[in-house]
Amino acid sequence: MTRLRRSFGAPLAALIVLLTGIWVLGLIAAPQVIMIEQSLWKMDRPAGADELSVQIDRLYNRLDMLALDRAAARTLSTPSATDAKLAQIDAERAAVAAEIADLETRESTPVRTWTLTNYAQMGQAHLRIFAKTILAALAVTAIAFAVCYPIAFAIAKLEPPRRAALIMLALVIPYAINELLRVFAWQMILNYGGPLNAALGLLGIGPVPFLESGSGVFVAMVYAYILFMVFPLYNVLETLDMNQIEAARDLGAKTWQIHRRIVLPHARPGIAVGCIMTFMLSAGSYSVPYIMTRGTAAPWFAQLVYNRFFQASDWNVGAAYAVSLLAVCTGFVFLMMRLLKVRLRDIAK
Amino acid sequence: MTPTPSGMDIALSGAAVRFGTFQAVHPTDLTIEAGEFFSILGPSGCGKTTILRLLSGFLDPSEGEVRIGGQPMAGIGPSDRPTALIFQNLALFPLMTVWENVAFGLEMRGWKTARRRARAFELLDMVALGGQGDKLPSELSGGQRQRVAIARALAVEPAVLLLDEPLSALDLKLRQHMRAELKQLQETTGITFVYITHDQGEALTMSDRVAVMNRGRIVQVGSADDVYDRPATAFVATFVGEMNRLPGRIESVAEGRARIATAGGSFLAPNPGGLAPGAEAVLFLRPERLHLLAPGEAAANVLEGGLVRRDMEGAFSTLIVETGAGRLTVQRVNSGSGGLPAGPLRLGFADRAGVILPAGETADDAA
Amino acid sequence: MTRTGSGLLLRIYMGVFFLYMFLPLAIMVAAGFNDYSPPSVTVWKGFTLHWFTELWQDRRMWSGLANSVLIAGAVIALALPMGLAGALLLGRLGSRAAGVLYTAMVSPLLTPGIILGISTVIFWRGLDVSAGLFTAILAQTTFIASYTMLMFMARLQRQDGALEEAALDLGATPFQAFRRITLPFLRPTILTAAVIAFLQSFENYNTTMFAIGGEHTLVTEIGSRMRFGLSPAINALGILFILATVAFALAWAALKAHERRAAEQAT
Repeated sequence: MTRLRRSFGAPLAALIVLLTGIWVLGLIAAPQVIMIEQSLWKMDRPAGADELSVQIDRLYNRLDMLALDRAAARTLSTPSATDAKLAQIDAERAAVAAEIADLETRESTPVRTWTLTNYAQMGQAHLRIFAKTILAALAVTAIAFAVCYPIAFAIAKLEPPRRAALIMLALVIPYAINELLRVFAWQMILNYGGPLNAALGLLGIGPVPFLESGSGVFVAMVYAYILFMVFPLYNVLETLDMNQIEAARDLGAKTWQIHRRIVLPHARPGIAVGCIMTFMLSAGSYSVPYIMTRGTAAPWFAQLVYNRFFQASDWNVGAAYAVSLLAVCTGFVFLMMRLLKVRLRDIAK
Repeated sequence: MTPTPSGMDIALSGAAVRFGTFQAVHPTDLTIEAGEFFSILGPSGCGKTTILRLLSGFLDPSEGEVRIGGQPMAGIGPSDRPTALIFQNLALFPLMTVWENVAFGLEMRGWKTARRRARAFELLDMVALGGQGDKLPSELSGGQRQRVAIARALAVEPAVLLLDEPLSALDLKLRQHMRAELKQLQETTGITFVYITHDQGEALTMSDRVAVMNRGRIVQVGSADDVYDRPATAFVATFVGEMNRLPGRIESVAEGRARIATAGGSFLAPNPGGLAPGAEAVLFLRPERLHLLAPGEAAANVLEGGLVRRDMEGAFSTLIVETGAGRLTVQRVNSGSGGLPAGPLRLGFADRAGVILPAGETADDAA
Repeated sequence: MTRTGSGLLLRIYMGVFFLYMFLPLAIMVAAGFNDYSPPSVTVWKGFTLHWFTELWQDRRMWSGLANSVLIAGAVIALALPMGLAGALLLGRLGSRAAGVLYTAMVSPLLTPGIILGISTVIFWRGLDVSAGLFTAILAQTTFIASYTMLMFMARLQRQDGALEEAALDLGATPFQAFRRITLPFLRPTILTAAVIAFLQSFENYNTTMFAIGGEHTLVTEIGSRMRFGLSPAINALGILFILATVAFALAWAALKAHERRAAEQAT
């Protein structure tokens, strides 16, 4: 803190700390904490609600008894005795009625109960969708890596630098074009009456309901997120000294050995970034399944989360779903960092 | 110790390299003996690295042939040649430990871990890095990294070691030390060394023979003495060492010598090219071959001039002398006698001291 | 040689990859000019610009565009100062604290966008603020500030610390040194960061969709229309997006080339 004040002066230092604080605590940390908190409770009937209802029943009985007593009291001999008795009974009836009202509000007002049942709510069907989404995201990541590694290597190491720069610029264009448009293009292609089915029709196949079967989601996801793998890989491979590759070859390494021992180890930070981004985007993708399935195929997990919040209005369960997704993604980040032996510092480009 | 593998000989016959329209190496014939320390010396861009890449197998000749140990190398990649290359930037693998670097070639040849580790440490012992095997290359000093690169190349027991200016990253003292080490290593192993450099000091001190290259051509091959004292062209004369230049015209020739008329007078010097009278030529003269003449002292060639500057450099001093033939540099051994006589200086040189060559491209033009 | 053989194979592979990248977009563009609805390329009814006029008259698209610009402007105003503050703070902390802060600041980039949207809405709902443009702005700022922070950090790492010290030594107050030395040094990055922040905000779908409640931006509106792909007006809008992107990429490349030439001339 003293260093900060010495570098910027007290007012500026205070502003810096304030702005960072608002961002890190107010925008990043607090919402996550509140979301996790929300996932851990639900509104429930209060504890002891059963005893309360027994008690309420007993009081209603008492009220009925008092009504009988009151009817009996009218037949009393002296009017004064009658009035006294009636007053006494009415007072008691009022008291009992008040107690009933009180107990009934206590019985019906839900209280906040800490519980893990929100997570257990997921049930068989939703759990299966969750698992399907995660597995699909893993598959998208693996495919993206397998497709992009040769591309990134070829551009970074085999093309002359000027051409490489041009190729990367050309790739920036589909990368920068809105995700929705990239998905929409595939929705058109895979549509029942789309060009792919038209082409298959010429071969006497189909038409295949790509969108309705849900397979279209996967195809579009690979397409939408593949470029998030190319750029990190290219960036690290570009920094690899060509002499490293030649030295290995000179010492007798075959092509696959060069990749295994020299290129891949060097590319670790880029692999980590590419895989984390691709996985995270696929696992949390709302747009791709939303547009590609048109509601005809089974939903994906992000859609479930959306529905919990904005259709079922069950925010606690929704929060639990969101936290589950967050947990998987965080786990994946740590797994990649551990597996590839990179630190978060190496990851930022 | 390494079971001294014998070096192999190398032969280029008509080997040339073209990149598109650019002729990087003109058709070249060159023979390097087995077990020789051979340097290729030239300015940057002269094609010397291209020749090294021809030998290592990263490049195929556009025409002609490369033979190593008598075997034609066409179609044989760098992995399968009996050569090992030491890169200019060493190209140590930064993510592997020192011993893994040294053992890399053995790993590629399928050696088991324990065996190759033991062998790597043997080699590291040989280059005096016994205790450093488990460190990363980045934890070593420049000289140590140099030795790792050498050990890594030796591990695959090459018959030819190709070195691409490996000392250029080191500071002067270390460089001089490593020269001696490399020379000794070459002698003990008996491997053929092909050493690429633009530093004439390195080439002259270490090599059995030196090839001087310019613009894709080898212009002279010979011993260090040949190249220094008997340059074949104006380029070699000026590229290797300091040289005074006295342009003029041949007056007469006799017995391998010629008399050349320059602006500073007429001088007698060897005429290896057999230039005929009337030819435009240049007399090249080393600064240390020019002497200050005492009054009355005679010499085969004499010229006079005035002192412009004297730089004391310790073991010797350098004089800049303005003469009729332009400014000449004179190098004088420091005898401890101190200053110079006042007045004009008389300079003399023997009739075998210089060399007369046809005017042509010099190293300064090339640079 | 075998090397050229595998090189050819790689070339072909790269060609196929590029085809894979661009062909879908080409199909979408073609359908935008086809006089047939729903968007199609298999049934060709002739060239038309009709869908552009239809798009022009779409009032919901215009209000979405206005919201998008409004949100992006607010995000720039928030994310730039926050990212800069974070980067400056990071440079002045001990390595341990810097590590923790850094992790916190890049974590939004590693978090699915829908989580950022949802958590913001939950948080503000607790304070009786319902989802809308405001929550969309905050949710976007959460991760866009991470981008700006990384950009400022990269730039600051290249700053020569001696400059600021020289200014202080010459009698500048720390604030003056910051204003006269550091801020001008950061100016190109401020510009770049603003552009990146704008694009990130404008094009964002996942986070915005979860945070915006009943409001809409241009992109969320496109999303809801695309689902059923009823009118090629969406394709027309896609064409405009692509044109804008290409123009932007070319301008960017030209700017970079210009800067490089200027730098080369300077040396």
